[in-house]
Amino acid sequence: MLNHLKYELCGTMAEDLLLVCGEEILHVSNLSVNRSGNEVIQDINMSITCGEFVGIVGPNGGGKSTLILAILGLLKPRTGQINVYGKAPMSKATIGRIGWVPQAATELPHNLRITVKEFIQLGLLSSNFLRQYLDFFISPPAFFKQRKKNQIKIDKIIETVGLEQYANTMISNLSGGQRQRAAIGKALASEADLLLMDEPMVGVDVDSRNSIMRLLDNLCHDQNKTIVMISHDLASMKRTAHRMIYLEHKIRYDGIAEDFPDLSSLAELRGIEATHPEADSTKSDVTKSDDVVIIVSPGIEGGES
Amino acid sequence: MVIGSLVIDLLGPILEFIAPFIPGEVFPLYFTKVYYQRPLIAAIVVSIVAGFLGAFLLIRNLALIGDGLAHVTFGGIAIGLVVGLVDPLWWALGLSIVAAILIDFLSYRKWLTGDTAIAIFLTGMLGLGIVVTRIWGEGSLASVEGYLWGSLNLIDEESFNFIIAVCFFAYILLIILYRSILAISIDSIAARVQGLPVPLISLLWSILIALVVVSMVQIVGVLLVTALLVTPAAIAQLVSRSFLTCVILSQIFGVITVLLGLYYSTELGTGSGSMIALVSAVLFVIVAISKALIKVFFLPNENTN
Repeated sequence: MLNHLKYELCGTMAEDLLLVCGEEILHVSNLSVNRSGNEVIQDINMSITCGEFVGIVGPNGGGKSTLILAILGLLKPRTGQINVYGKAPMSKATIGRIGWVPQAATELPHNLRITVKEFIQLGLLSSNFLRQYLDFFISPPAFFKQRKKNQIKIDKIIETVGLEQYANTMISNLSGGQRQRAAIGKALASEADLLLMDEPMVGVDVDSRNSIMRLLDNLCHDQNKTIVMISHDLASMKRTAHRMIYLEHKIRYDGIAEDFPDLSSLAELRGIEATHPEADSTKSDVTKSDDVVIIVSPGIEGGES
Repeated sequence: MVIGSLVIDLLGPILEFIAPFIPGEVFPLYFTKVYYQRPLIAAIVVSIVAGFLGAFLLIRNLALIGDGLAHVTFGGIAIGLVVGLVDPLWWALGLSIVAAILIDFLSYRKWLTGDTAIAIFLTGMLGLGIVVTRIWGEGSLASVEGYLWGSLNLIDEESFNFIIAVCFFAYILLIILYRSILAISIDSIAARVQGLPVPLISLLWSILIALVVVSMVQIVGVLLVTALLVTPAAIAQLVSRSFLTCVILSQIFGVITVLLGLYYSTELGTGSGSMIALVSAVLFVIVAISKALIKVFFLPNENTN
């Protein structure tokens, strides 16, 4: 297993990297993606290991959502490769192992008249959704046993995301933050190890934001989930994420979240490659290729595994 | 189509048994004479399936698709009467399925919004139906017009068998696809990531709507399909506390609407479709007002909606 995890990153054999990281979950190599004629993502490389909490930041139109959609297998790359669990996206081996959390607060239908419990239960659906009906006819005891098991699982997830007292409340009656928790719960129900989140904090107030971030942090630590999250909230990302990636068509920064430069505006962030690497060279192994700066940090301790 | 006669054999004696307890002068005829039993059973069966389907339509914001497909059905029946070959209902069914699939495809591809696609099909097929009958119909417009308002006299043995078989199939399909349709309606990306065969389920869903609408057209008529499809579900939404209760209540309200509608239409000598539509609207108003009153007088401090 470990053998095929060997990969070359930024010209350095990464065997020693494997000692600090867990199992590699996501590997992106030389990826370019076009959207409506424009090359939104240009030749990027990255690798994410089990248990990491990766924040992706960058300007609008910089390719963050495109990257996530490509990882999900919903956009075809122009060149390059994406491997999730060593397989192509949307292949049988990856389906059900990736969870998707949209901007639930704004994207869920506003009049969604289903309860939190019913909503999270939808996460249990998988490609063999017809099996349960067959079970019902073939062996009813197995059907009811599975039902009971699912019920317990859903209750546990509702507890994890802190919505116990709202289990039977309609989604349409929840606040933005609570909806977001429900959306995370739905992704957890699918037993996904890798959670991809596209700006989940939009429309969520500061308090809820902090508690959702704590929840995600706990998921990484306790359940060894891997989280890749797009966000514009640099401050809270820096506090919680293990690793940050700044994406503006190319990867401009990839390294420990704590070391992500304090910047007052995104405009300054674009100058990062001129100043940052030298300042940090003691901590990180820095390689420059073209105008992409990738910092392979041996200090990524997100794995914890 | 054996299922139709099976149902009448099964339910006929029961209807005859309860006939003496049924109020009204003409209405009990529906319970005693086989000629009238058929439309009664068909109306009840259709209202159950329509209520079930309606709950999903409201979640998907597709309240008017029933109206659109009903007009397509009208066009299909007109073409069927002129062209012949098979029963006009089969023409209607075929064209409605094609229209439903196209509407879903156009809105899924984001070429048109659902509303716009429905509007185009609605008016286009209605126009086609009328033009076809005016040119080649040789005065058969009158027989097509029966479908506009719906008439229980249209339900002979053949169309009774058709309605029962179609509704039975649609109901089973709805139960099997219950959660999948919900998942796709709420977030189709998440559904795809979970591994649900989204295109297949969307296709079945389109076929399902077409099946139900075509079977409804003979009972409530093209113009009033929405009354049985959407109004009971809307009433159920007012009082339900979860999606499951909404689905169940929606079917119950559908049956109540049909029974009351048939009772008043026979006693007062109005058409069945228009009375059913009127009853459903009145029922909605009554439930909405009582809900508001209960809220004001009994639960002044609770913010439930």
